[in-house]
Amino acid sequence: MISRKLQLIVAFLVLAILAMGFYLVHLKHKAESIAVGPVAQALAAPFSGPPEQMTLFVASDEDYSMRPIGISSPLPSDPGERGRLALHALILRYLEPDSHHPLGPGADVRDVYLLDPASAVVNLNGELANSHRSGIEVEQLTIFSLVLTLKAQLPQLNRVRFLVDGKTRDTLAGHLDLTAWMDVALVSDAAGELK
Amino acid sequence: MPPEHSNFARITTLLLFLLAVGFAAEPRKITVYAPRANYQIDILAPGGVDYVGLTDLLEPLGRLESRSDGRKLSFIFNGAETDFEANTRQVRTRGNPVPDLPANFLLLNGRGYVPVASIVQLLPRIANQAAEFHSASRRLFVGSTQLHFTAELRHAPSRLVLTFPAPVNPSVVVEKSRVRLSFRREPVVGNGTGAVSYGDPFLAGTSFTETPNGAEFIANILQPATVVIGDAGRTVTISAQAAPVPSAVPQPLPNVQPRPPATPPPPRPRPFVILDAAHGGDDPGAALSPTLLEKTVNLALARRLQKELEARGISVVLTRTADNSLSLDQRAISANTSHAALYVAIHASTSGHGVRLYTSMVALQSGQSRRSFSPWELAQSPYLQQSSLAAAALAAQCAADGLPVRRSTAPLRPLNSVTLAAIALEVAPLGSSPDELATSEYQQSIATSLASAIASLRGKLEEAQ
Repeated sequence: MISRKLQLIVAFLVLAILAMGFYLVHLKHKAESIAVGPVAQALAAPFSGPPEQMTLFVASDEDYSMRPIGISSPLPSDPGERGRLALHALILRYLEPDSHHPLGPGADVRDVYLLDPASAVVNLNGELANSHRSGIEVEQLTIFSLVLTLKAQLPQLNRVRFLVDGKTRDTLAGHLDLTAWMDVALVSDAAGELK
Repeated sequence: MPPEHSNFARITTLLLFLLAVGFAAEPRKITVYAPRANYQIDILAPGGVDYVGLTDLLEPLGRLESRSDGRKLSFIFNGAETDFEANTRQVRTRGNPVPDLPANFLLLNGRGYVPVASIVQLLPRIANQAAEFHSASRRLFVGSTQLHFTAELRHAPSRLVLTFPAPVNPSVVVEKSRVRLSFRREPVVGNGTGAVSYGDPFLAGTSFTETPNGAEFIANILQPATVVIGDAGRTVTISAQAAPVPSAVPQPLPNVQPRPPATPPPPRPRPFVILDAAHGGDDPGAALSPTLLEKTVNLALARRLQKELEARGISVVLTRTADNSLSLDQRAISANTSHAALYVAIHASTSGHGVRLYTSMVALQSGQSRRSFSPWELAQSPYLQQSSLAAAALAAQCAADGLPVRRSTAPLRPLNSVTLAAIALEVAPLGSSPDELATSEYQQSIATSLASAIASLRGKLEEAQ
């Protein structure tokens, strides 16, 4: 015969497990909503000041090329923020309907952190990675164009690391390695061999 | 016990049981013993009927091509075509109808599934090979792979001699009252007698049972015993031991004596190339079309290239021969322990046209020798020169054969961690249709070019090694 006390203990434990489960799900949703919140508003914030030259390295799937394109825009003084805006401007090009290297809707860059003048961590959003086409060549074009565009804004840059929604990710879309620091000089050399 | 207590106890027990079952459940598998390879395939049970993937089953057995229009699936296996229609039981092989399947053929995400109960009926017609399926142990024998053994009790001294037609390597456990031989890899089957009683002072009896995905032979002994595997693995002798065994339950392998040094196994030929069909299993790679996955094209191309290389006398190993998952590190370890001279990772894509060849984008470490310490992610560095040499040779041959080809470097795993000449290959269709990637003509033209180039590299890479 099961004592009343034992029944109460078991019932309490079951209830506690269920409550902890619900709380865990709640925390997960909360964390995800924070992580995937919109970034467009922040990027849309205007900067006053005279327009400055910015070079974007725009990739094309058509001929496997990477072409520098100069644009003019007011830029903030903070180097990380300048880098982020440059990458945002590049990604906007890829989101245009007639882009030769299309990215998925909602693709963007969340942040660019400078650990020191030579080391940058680029935090991409999940939409960019999750909707990216899978293949060595297409992933290579995306990553190389991001690195070269960032280097154009931050001339002292030597190495870049990519995160997705603040987390380490093995590959961009199944091929290109995102787990290690990328040597900017090696990327420049490899991109120089493209058309 | 009051009724409310009884109900409470039942519900609690049920919850605990369901939890235990949920944690313990593992996918069921069929172990396939074929002349060329042993492998396992997953069983799916939609609607309570056991199914297996046709590609998983047939791919390791020979050359397989498939095409699907979403409703029908056609397989060409070693030149013979078999047609299946989704959600029907009808099958046609070489244009002739075969007996209906016991349940409907399923076509899910471009992959065909047939009922497990139909394998024995289908394999002789599709693969032209006899098949025997042991449903209780989920063991499938393709061709005449079964190993029937004989057991003979000999005297002075008492010993049981098991004789096999081919070498075996069972795991042996000697316990106080029994000896257990477990066959996990070998297609050992019984002779139909099951349990045998001997009534000998040393041996009371034996039994042979097939277990899920294996088999077990048990000798019930009345005296301490030793086990010797001899004749290059063809005989297992269980002998009465003169001295008593110290207290012993269970003692894995205490009495197993090493095989005689006079009969070492023949050395395996060292492969020249290791081919790595990228992705596989849970990782499909790119979806090249609604019915064509990158992992499938990669494996088909790897097999075709293997055949072309072997026709040129070049020994080849594949990291995977079926639709199974391998981590990137496992692939690198396979390459590094293969003692091959060249590693080729094979990918497919719908972007661009022709063939792309990549070498690793690691920095060339000055003054670094192959014997010096390298971090895992930079291990390719001392081998970059050989990798570039290989990529250049392959690119030149592809261009000479009229295939559009490009060379580049990219940060790719596991290339960075491979300690031999290593390249990654990505093939794209020549035209706009991704289905071209699955055609035998296109795959053959690529395989021929690559094999010719690799054959020309043989001397250079072996010398560098």
